Amino acid sequence: MVPTLGRTLILLALLAASTGAVVALTTGARPSSLGWTWSRRLAYAFGALMLLANLTMEYALLSHDFSVSYVAHVGSRSVPTWVSIVSLWSSLEGSILFWGMVLGAYVAIATYRNRGEHPEYMPWAVGIWLACGAFFSFLLAGPAQPFATVPSPPMDGPGPNALLQNHYLMVIHPPFLYAGYVGMTIPFGFACAALLAGRLGHDFLRPLRNSLLVPWIFLTIAIVLGGWWAYEVLGWGGYWAWDPVENASFLPWLTATAALHSALLVERKGVLKGWTVTLIAGTFLLTILGTFMTRSGVFNSVHSFTQSAIGPTILAFLAAALLFSVALFALRIDALESDGALETGVSRDAAFLLQNLLFVLFTFTVLLGTVFPLVMEAMSGKQMSVGRPYFDQMALPVGLALLFVMGVGPALPWGRATREQVRRALLPPLAGACVLALVGFLLGVRNRWTLAALLFGGFTAQVTLSEMLLPVRQRMRTHGEGLVEAFRNAQRRGRRRFGAYVVHAGAVIVIVAIAVSSTMATSKEIQLKEGETATIGDYSLTFVKAEVVAEPHRESTRARMEIVKGGRSLGALFPAMNQYDSQREPVGTPAVRTSLTEDLYLSVHNIDARSGTVGLLALVNPMVAWIWVATAIMALGGLVALLPAMRPSAIPAPATEPTPLVEGAH
Amino acid sequence: MQAVTQPAEATPRARRLNLKVLIAGAAVALPLLAVLVFNLGRDPHSVRSPLVGTKAPAFSLQPVAGGAPIALDSLRGQPVVVNFWATWCVPCAEEHQALVAASRALVDVKFLGIVYEDELPRIERFLAEHPSGYPSLSDPGGRTAIAYGVFGVPETFFIDGSGRIVEKYVGPLDRRTIAALVAKARGMK
Repeated sequence: MVPTLGRTLILLALLAASTGAVVALTTGARPSSLGWTWSRRLAYAFGALMLLANLTMEYALLSHDFSVSYVAHVGSRSVPTWVSIVSLWSSLEGSILFWGMVLGAYVAIATYRNRGEHPEYMPWAVGIWLACGAFFSFLLAGPAQPFATVPSPPMDGPGPNALLQNHYLMVIHPPFLYAGYVGMTIPFGFACAALLAGRLGHDFLRPLRNSLLVPWIFLTIAIVLGGWWAYEVLGWGGYWAWDPVENASFLPWLTATAALHSALLVERKGVLKGWTVTLIAGTFLLTILGTFMTRSGVFNSVHSFTQSAIGPTILAFLAAALLFSVALFALRIDALESDGALETGVSRDAAFLLQNLLFVLFTFTVLLGTVFPLVMEAMSGKQMSVGRPYFDQMALPVGLALLFVMGVGPALPWGRATREQVRRALLPPLAGACVLALVGFLLGVRNRWTLAALLFGGFTAQVTLSEMLLPVRQRMRTHGEGLVEAFRNAQRRGRRRFGAYVVHAGAVIVIVAIAVSSTMATSKEIQLKEGETATIGDYSLTFVKAEVVAEPHRESTRARMEIVKGGRSLGALFPAMNQYDSQREPVGTPAVRTSLTEDLYLSVHNIDARSGTVGLLALVNPMVAWIWVATAIMALGGLVALLPAMRPSAIPAPATEPTPLVEGAH
Repeated sequence: MQAVTQPAEATPRARRLNLKVLIAGAAVALPLLAVLVFNLGRDPHSVRSPLVGTKAPAFSLQPVAGGAPIALDSLRGQPVVVNFWATWCVPCAEEHQALVAASRALVDVKFLGIVYEDELPRIERFLAEHPSGYPSLSDPGGRTAIAYGVFGVPETFFIDGSGRIVEKYVGPLDRRTIAALVAKARGMK
């Protein structure tokens, strides 16, 4: 009964999406109001059907209906209700079903929000979105069918992957990732629409940029949640390993960030239109490549789903999307005329270009490192992997250069700058640079690269803060407003600009925190008997005893570690080994004591409750918490930048750029 | 990039095929797709065993069901399929049917199961519920599994008539794969 309902809903979604794609693309080529009405209706229908299919699956999961193949695969009567709910995205078929719902929601909302605007672009965009929707419906109808009927249903199922049950971050990470990944379909549709319509007008930039910013915010959060999860769960003490699946989420983030910046040049100068849509299309294609990486079984990763039959189907879609994009761009990119010209010489324009090139360089570097093992195996038959050293070595200079450009760019005026202007723009922030580097040096930083990161970070931080507050200062001076009033008014007029600098501020902190945490950590392997004490840094760790805690779906053996720092007791930490019913190998759960300055990180290697011994990896990681906090700042900044544009009633926000730091530069 | 390098030329060239974009796009897209297609069937989890191509480590193990020990050396002259499995391993249960069917169909091939890290009562219960028709051997202390470098079950070794390991397969087998790998073991006789 339920399997039939689910399959019917998916077939109807496939019907709605494919019909809608044809109708909308036809309407794009030959505009008609009837065609546009039906394009919209079918887009809404697709969204609603996907939502219903997901609700049906949730119902099956919660009612333990093991006649549904997916439930038989991941369901279990012994897991808590919240695990049953999130089982929807714990395994392959369900995650694609969930993907379908996110896509449906994006498509329906984007269609609704632009229903009365941009008539020359919208049918094309809806057509592209629904074509993608048709593909994912097809995937669900055939290769990744979650609603297959199980002829003789089992009484109970194995339950979802133990890693998913082990930490709440794994529960919230996938939805953010999907919201980031799937959302890139919307700007892709807009970009293709601009190419198909043969123009990219100023009025269309706002939906284009916002449709990019929304998934960008989700993706930013998702990437860091993934790192946070790895840090809190995997137990090796780090948060990023350049694993193919991590790279898969990072690659589209890089190109999306580049596109957000080049879109600003389109807006201000009317240049780089073709380049911007190329970046947007690249972002979308990289999300599909990432999907392929995670789900085809071709890449070896801790995060990936097991091998499956859907690899070829996703690859076919990737090939179709890639070839379609290349053909479309080759045919139409010249139609996107530039309305202006770029300034050469030292200027903010040049900084934007440099920033874009660095991001693209970064993208290619990471892509190459990710795909290289496959190339090697194809050519020579040798198996190999590209390790962290390659990525770290490449990421370090590019990251530092980006940090530098993020400081120099906003300090420079638009257009050509004189030598005197450049001097006056770049000299004052050197104070911030020196202060931060000096503070770092006094606190014991000796690594050259880390000091360089602090130097550039200080420079950029000062520029960012002064740019952020520049409109406020100007209002206080010219309008004689008080601080609060000036801040509010400046906010209202330049919220997007303000949000962008908040993002920058977060990015500075993230880069500095990564530099410090990756070079200043101390680690120690400890083997203890009950009652023994070991020390790491200022901490002394006493192994009190091993405790066994039984829960319905798992049994954990945890070590009670009393922590004392500088003579002061900090309470106990409980690093543990969890044994799940569904898995033979135990899953370790590290215990982390987080503070703003440093984390104490304990991870169990081996623990024996009977003999009362424990083997631990202990780490002191400085500044790691700043990465999580600063990511929240970045996401918040993105949200601030998004808000005025989302509220049509607010004062229209043409990029009102206040006079730059250097007086009289315009 | 095109818009960067030649913004001024854009107008007269509009609505024509931009060859540079086409070539650049194809130069990125085609090799990438080629590599992905080539690797599609590959299992990244299979690390090629150094044992492949060498003589299979000898063993003489007691069948779970009782009876005289079975020695690998005594099976020379026919292909041997050695399947490491356990009752707690879900993929092992998945491939069980395929192995049973193949052992019935390929009468000239000797199929052996070797139980990996398991307890006798559970094995007996499993075999009572899923009769296999070919012997499963117990491996006390996992010595044979260590000799074969087994790191997770199911792992299956295909040995030719001269006692050489022709192929190692990690993960659940299906009938087609078994047939193909047995054919390989036959061909090297």
